[in-house]
Amino acid sequence: MLYRVRRNLPLALSVLALMVVILAPFYWIFTSSVKEPQEIIARRPTLFPQSFTFEHYDKLLYHSPFPTYLRNSLIVAIGTMIITVVLATLAAYGLYRLRFPGRQMLFRIILITYAFPGVLLLVPMYDMMSRLGLVDRLTALVIVDVTLAAPFAVWMLQAFFRTIPQELEEAAALDGATRLGIIVRILLPLAAPGVAAIAIFAFITSWTEYLFSSILIVSEANRTVPVGLAGIIGQYQVDWGLLLAGATATALPVLVLFGLVGRNFVEGLTAGAVR
Amino acid sequence: MRNTTPSTARARAWASFRSEWLSTNTLMGYAFVLPLVLWLAATILYPLLKSIQLSVLNIKFIGTPGEYVGLDNYQRALTSPYFRAALQNSAIWVVGNAVVQTVLAFAAALILKQQFVGNRIARIWIILSWVVPTVVVVIIWRWLLSASGGIVNYSLQSLGIIDQPVGFFSTGNTAFISVILINSWRWFPFNAVILLAALQRIPAELYEAASVDGANVLQKFRFITLPSLQPVLFVMGLIGTLLSFNVFDVIWLLTGGGPSRATTTLPVLIYDTAFKKYRLSQAAAMSVLTGIILLIFAALFIRFMSPASDSDER
Amino acid sequence: MKRTLSTLIIVLVVAVMVLPQVPATAQEKVQITLWHMEQPPHRVQRVQELIDEFNAANPDIEVKQEPQNWGEIYTKAPAAVAAGNAPELLFAIPDFTPILKDLGKVQPVEDFVAELDAAHKFYPAAVAQYTYDGHTWAVPLYNMAHSLWYRKSVFEAAGVEVPTTWDEWLAVTEKLTTGEQYGIGLPANKNLYTDQTVYDLMINAGADEIYNPDGSLRFNNPATVEAYDMYSKLYKFSPPDSPNWAWGEAEACFANRTCASILQFTVITTYDTQAEGDPADLGVAPIPYKEGVENPGTIAYVNAVMILTDDPAKLEAAKKFIRFILEPENYGRFLNMEPGLFLPVTEDGAVAESFWNDPLVVKYKEQVEIMVQNSTGGRLFGFTGGNTFPSIAAISAQNILAQTLQMVVIDGMSPEDAVAEGQKLMEEALED
Repeated sequence: MLYRVRRNLPLALSVLALMVVILAPFYWIFTSSVKEPQEIIARRPTLFPQSFTFEHYDKLLYHSPFPTYLRNSLIVAIGTMIITVVLATLAAYGLYRLRFPGRQMLFRIILITYAFPGVLLLVPMYDMMSRLGLVDRLTALVIVDVTLAAPFAVWMLQAFFRTIPQELEEAAALDGATRLGIIVRILLPLAAPGVAAIAIFAFITSWTEYLFSSILIVSEANRTVPVGLAGIIGQYQVDWGLLLAGATATALPVLVLFGLVGRNFVEGLTAGAVR
Repeated sequence: MRNTTPSTARARAWASFRSEWLSTNTLMGYAFVLPLVLWLAATILYPLLKSIQLSVLNIKFIGTPGEYVGLDNYQRALTSPYFRAALQNSAIWVVGNAVVQTVLAFAAALILKQQFVGNRIARIWIILSWVVPTVVVVIIWRWLLSASGGIVNYSLQSLGIIDQPVGFFSTGNTAFISVILINSWRWFPFNAVILLAALQRIPAELYEAASVDGANVLQKFRFITLPSLQPVLFVMGLIGTLLSFNVFDVIWLLTGGGPSRATTTLPVLIYDTAFKKYRLSQAAAMSVLTGIILLIFAALFIRFMSPASDSDER
Repeated sequence: MKRTLSTLIIVLVVAVMVLPQVPATAQEKVQITLWHMEQPPHRVQRVQELIDEFNAANPDIEVKQEPQNWGEIYTKAPAAVAAGNAPELLFAIPDFTPILKDLGKVQPVEDFVAELDAAHKFYPAAVAQYTYDGHTWAVPLYNMAHSLWYRKSVFEAAGVEVPTTWDEWLAVTEKLTTGEQYGIGLPANKNLYTDQTVYDLMINAGADEIYNPDGSLRFNNPATVEAYDMYSKLYKFSPPDSPNWAWGEAEACFANRTCASILQFTVITTYDTQAEGDPADLGVAPIPYKEGVENPGTIAYVNAVMILTDDPAKLEAAKKFIRFILEPENYGRFLNMEPGLFLPVTEDGAVAESFWNDPLVVKYKEQVEIMVQNSTGGRLFGFTGGNTFPSIAAISAQNILAQTLQMVVIDGMSPEDAVAEGQKLMEEALED
């Protein structure tokens, strides 16, 4: 018994330390967002709220365009997710299940798209979207976000596509299945955890994108959460209560999302081990 | 690219399978990759060419006409002390982030790999710092690190570690370290999960066999863990470096590149030049140079760091 | 796993449908889009109230607002103009207008301003900040000016009087710095706020002119050096995180009593909602000046609105909306979108009931009166001495006043060297 405790204590402590590093800042934000304004900016911070109010949330949800931001962010993130999944799955299939000359080169070219600074692409991207009439359209953000998410998503899929035995495919091919049929009926179900993982990756990439959204979106009605929240910070005053409530409300949807499918992300990535 | 060398039995079986598909396989391969490649080309190639065009003109504002000035902007960038300082800052930024994130991610992955109660929950929620937008990360840390009423200063003071509150973003060095740590805080859990996934894929038998042979922990790490992780580390090293080099929003929103330019990395300098100084063409030249530097890095990285397992599949 | 994924998609789709839909707008009306940078929700709401009233009274016109962020507008507005997506109306500060004007879309409005002047009587200084190159480029809307804010009780407890000269100021600030309290909160960030506080000291050192009358730079002069020297002395009594401050942090520092005093446009809203909110204890005073300086004062920004359309119907509709805003019965409500921050720029606005009737203005009447008084000594760099130099836009866009300060208080340069270096940066900014 004592042996077990002594063996487990370092592990327990390191797990605890890890969780504190990640979660403590969030605890601080969540609890502060229900404090009265005076307590929020008090010189002596309080670990547990001494006052309780929903006024910041009331202001955020009923007297600011935050719900609109939320909706726009969801639309863009879902759009990005769907397109990324389709493009990345097709590409990953081509790259990891087929053998053809130039395969490796192609994969590297796809990865190297990350070499170009977002800041570099900003102005020409605005110019391009403007020519296409896509400035201030959520479509423009989906287009950009897919570019940001897809290359890495292709790589994330490789572990799954590589571990599925080639014989399954051969057998199906012998049975006369078409190439697309093989993908949809045999490969996709086997790679489902991986596909779920890249879906989440694409969603989060889009959910957190700031730079392009800040320039490509013009109107309040089409603004996404990161840019809208940056706006609430305000020019001459910081309404910390509103800001903390906004930070919490931004984290909440992804918390719910993660509560639902977070397992898929982590297990999805690790599933290759089980086979 | 070389063709596969049919040396194993599996490869021979594969070769016979291949002969049936040979005529269509190549076409098919390209057809599957094509949609993504077209998408990337459309969204990156046009802006890229446009940037190169901008970089040889002398445009100051967006939307004003400019004249052809040849390579003046490149010469100006290469001789500018600001550009050199920013390049140096970028190098420190990339290395600092790589070191901090690798250490933290490895530690976290090794911890999470153990069996303990709540292990599943911990694996999911560790990633929380990665799923919130940068803006929220910035709000959180500005708030925590404030010198008047911030919890970090208050705790350090209560513990008697410091007498007076510290301004974390007030001197060049502390600001740089703070920004690196904050950016790492955001990214290391994601890296940890990817690493964890790769660790899980290493067959347990390998470790067992090594134990039988009397290998110690370090030897196991050196001869089993590291080689098995190499493909993952390769891609993470490549993409992670490129992505972290191009990080802009965290730095911009936390310090604006200050104090006194201490945290001005290349992306910050480019943004500043284009949208604060209104020297669009000069900024474009800097971006193109940055792109070239990163491409050279990527080429070298691929040339010298490619995992062995990759080459036999070429 | 597949089931959770489909649950997820259903949840997301439902969320998208439940969240508010954007109403479609009718097309046959004259559409006027207004961009302003007053993004906090309560300001947006007040502007919306005025817009709704206007739209109801003018069925043929549809005004809509799109609040923007100061941090992004310098990128976004030129890009939008270049791409033909510009709004019809765009708010501005004096050093933003020259940037837009060079893109050729801003309409000259001197005739319109003359018409409005006849009705409401603008303060001449307000119009002057937007008049150069033979035209007036924007219609002044509201004024903002810095003051020194403090708590009377804190000054009493420390046994100090409100300082009027620099010697007194330094002594008072030192005396106020005790334990957890800092004598003054002064920013040292590379941003507009620091530009403003630096210029406050420059004015009161007699260094308000950055340009010679012929347009050459005179930033590098002994008076400027004195201003930076004084700033660095006061800065020693400022909290350690002030190099990272914008306006909001300064206000929070004042509100939670960490800072005994700050230089700010207003602290009224924050003081009222986030601190004790006792009007009798809140002190506001002119910024102290160096002994012997002839014309002390403070930084003041006249905000204005530019018209970016030459379509006759839209132009007329835009003017109609501006006329509506400046009517005394609306103007006070417009200014009080942030009570005690925005000050009138017209004579009939300064006495408008709609301005003085706001509950918060009533509560802090004493302070608002002093603010209005301080604002009469208001000036803005690059727009002083009857001359206007639009090239200041390049200098203020790069925050060179603040950069120069950082050389002193962060890099430890001497004020003389830093100011010389600052002038060099300005010359660089102005070259082609």
